[in-house]
Amino acid sequence: MTPGKAAPRSFGRIDAFLSSVVSGRLKGASHVLLAPSSLVLGLFLILPVVLILAISFTKRGPYGSLVWSFTTSNYLQALRPAYFPVLARSFLFAGVTTLLCLAIAYPLAYALSFFAGGFRGALILMLMVPFWNSCLVAIYSWMILLGREGLLNGLLLRLGLIQAPVQFLGTSFAVILGLVYFYLPFMVLPLYACLEKIPRSLIDASKDLGAGVATTFLKVTLPLSLPGVFAGCILTFVPCVGDFLTADFLGGTKTYLIGNLIANQFLAAQDWPFGGAMAAILIVILSTGIFAYLRLESGGPEADALKVR
Amino acid sequence: MKRFPPLLKVYCGMIYLFLYLPMGVMMAFSFNDARRNVVWKGFTLKWYGKLFANKELMASLATTIELGLIATAISVALGMLASYALARHVRMRGRSAYAGLLNVPMMMPEIVLGIGILTFLVRAQIELSFWTLVLSHVVFCLPYATGAIRARLLSLQSSSYEDAAMDLGATEWEAFYKITLPLTGPAILSGALLAFTVSFEDFVTSFFVAGGGIETLPIRIYAMMKFGITPEINAMATVLLVFTLAVLAAYHAVSGGDQESAL
Repeated sequence: MTPGKAAPRSFGRIDAFLSSVVSGRLKGASHVLLAPSSLVLGLFLILPVVLILAISFTKRGPYGSLVWSFTTSNYLQALRPAYFPVLARSFLFAGVTTLLCLAIAYPLAYALSFFAGGFRGALILMLMVPFWNSCLVAIYSWMILLGREGLLNGLLLRLGLIQAPVQFLGTSFAVILGLVYFYLPFMVLPLYACLEKIPRSLIDASKDLGAGVATTFLKVTLPLSLPGVFAGCILTFVPCVGDFLTADFLGGTKTYLIGNLIANQFLAAQDWPFGGAMAAILIVILSTGIFAYLRLESGGPEADALKVR
Repeated sequence: MKRFPPLLKVYCGMIYLFLYLPMGVMMAFSFNDARRNVVWKGFTLKWYGKLFANKELMASLATTIELGLIATAISVALGMLASYALARHVRMRGRSAYAGLLNVPMMMPEIVLGIGILTFLVRAQIELSFWTLVLSHVVFCLPYATGAIRARLLSLQSSSYEDAAMDLGATEWEAFYKITLPLTGPAILSGALLAFTVSFEDFVTSFFVAGGGIETLPIRIYAMMKFGITPEINAMATVLLVFTLAVLAAYHAVSGGDQESAL
C-alpha cells in the first residue's frame, strides 16, 4: 500500500462528510454550525438578562451581597420620591428627543428621497459617519462647544446677546441636544427607507387627478410613510431611555437618567437588586419596542399599502 | 428629477453642519497652541507628540487593538458558520429563533449588556479577565459580522456559480471552498471591519466588564474626560475619529457602497 493511494480515499471520506454538512443532509449539521454562536449568546446575553430579572426580585444583603428571597421592594423603591423623578425624566427626555428627531428628520429624509438625486448615497453615508463615530468623542466635542468658555458662549458674548457666560453643561438643554445629536440618524434612516419604497406612480397619479402638492403629501405620501415614522420612533426612543453617557457628561446630578441610576447602583452604591430592577424596566421597554417593531415589519395595514406596485 | 427647493437645501445643509460642526471644532483645537480651547494661538503638533509619548495611553491603545482583532476573528468565524446555516439550510428547525437570537445584541441597551455580563460573571465566580472581555465583545460584534455575510450567501445562491461547479463534477464541499468561500471573501472582510469598529469604540460594555486590570482606550479617554477638556484629549479623539473614518472608507470600498448592511 502506498501513501499516495490511501490519501485520496480518506480524503474522499472527509469530502463526503463535509459535503453532507455543507448541503445540510447530515442530521443536526445546521444546529452544530449554529451552536458556537448560540452558546456565546446564550451564556453572555440571554443568561445575564435572565439573571438581571432574577436579582431584581431579591433582597440586598450586607456589603452588597444578595439574599435570595422573593421581594418586589426594589420595584416599589423606584417609585419613591428620590428615584421616581429619574424614571419620569428618562421617559420625558426620550419622548422629547424622539419628537424633536422626528420633526428634524422628516424634512431631511423627504428631501433626500425626493430631491437629492445622484447624491443620495453619499448623503446617507455622511449621515452615518457620526453614528459610527465613538460616542465618547461626540460627547467630548459637545463639551467643547457648550462649556463656560466654549464656542457657543464666546459667540453669544461677542454678539452681545448675553452679558456673562451661560451654564449650558449640566442642564436638560445640553442633555436633550446631545441625545438628538446621537439618535437623529436612527430616525432619518428608517424614514428614508420607507419614503424610498413609496411608488412614485402613486404620487404622479394623485397629481394627474388634480390634487395639489399639499393634498398629495397629506393624502398619499404622509400616510404611506407612517411605517417609517413608527419604526424611527421606536428605534430612537428605546436606546434613548437607556442612554447613560450623554447625561453623565453633558448633564449633572439633576438631569440623571435611568442609565446613570443603574450604573450607580452597580458601581458605587452596590445595590445590585435595585439596579437590576431598573435594568428590568429597560428590558421591558426594549421587548415592547422589539415586539411593536416586528409587528410593523411583518404586516399591518400600512405595510400592505406599500406592496401596491 | 425634480428641482431641489432652495429653502429645503439650506435646511439640509444646516443639519449636516449640526452633525459635523462639533467634530470639526474638536479637530481644529487639537492643533491649537494653547491650553484652553477659547482662542486660537497658532498651529502646533505638540499635543500629538505628547500623546504618542504617553506610554500608558499607548499601552491602552495596544490592548484595544488586540481585543478588537481577537473579538473580530471569533465573531467572523462564528458568524460565518451561523450565517451559512441560516442562509442555506432553509428547512432546518428553529431557524427563525436562531436568526432572532443573533439580532438581539443590536437592540439590547449597552448598559443592560454590561451589568448583565458583570452580574453573571460575579455570580458564577468567573474572574473578570481579558478573555471574558473578548467574549463580551463577541456578543455585540456578531450581528455586525453576520449581516454582510448572510446577505452575500443569499445572493450567491441565486447566482449559478455553485450549480455550475457541481455540474462540472465538484462535490458540494469543493463547490463550497473553491467557489462560495472565495466569493464570500469581500463580505467577510466588510463584516470584520464593522465588527472591529464597534469593538474598538465600545465603552459602556467594557466599562462594566473590564474589571480593574484591563484598560481599553475608550476607558482611558473616559477617565481623562472626567477631569475636563484638555488639548491631549482633543488630539486623542481626533486620532480616533480619523481612524474610524479610515475603517469606514475601507468598508465602503470593500462592500461597493451597499449601505443597507451597514445598519
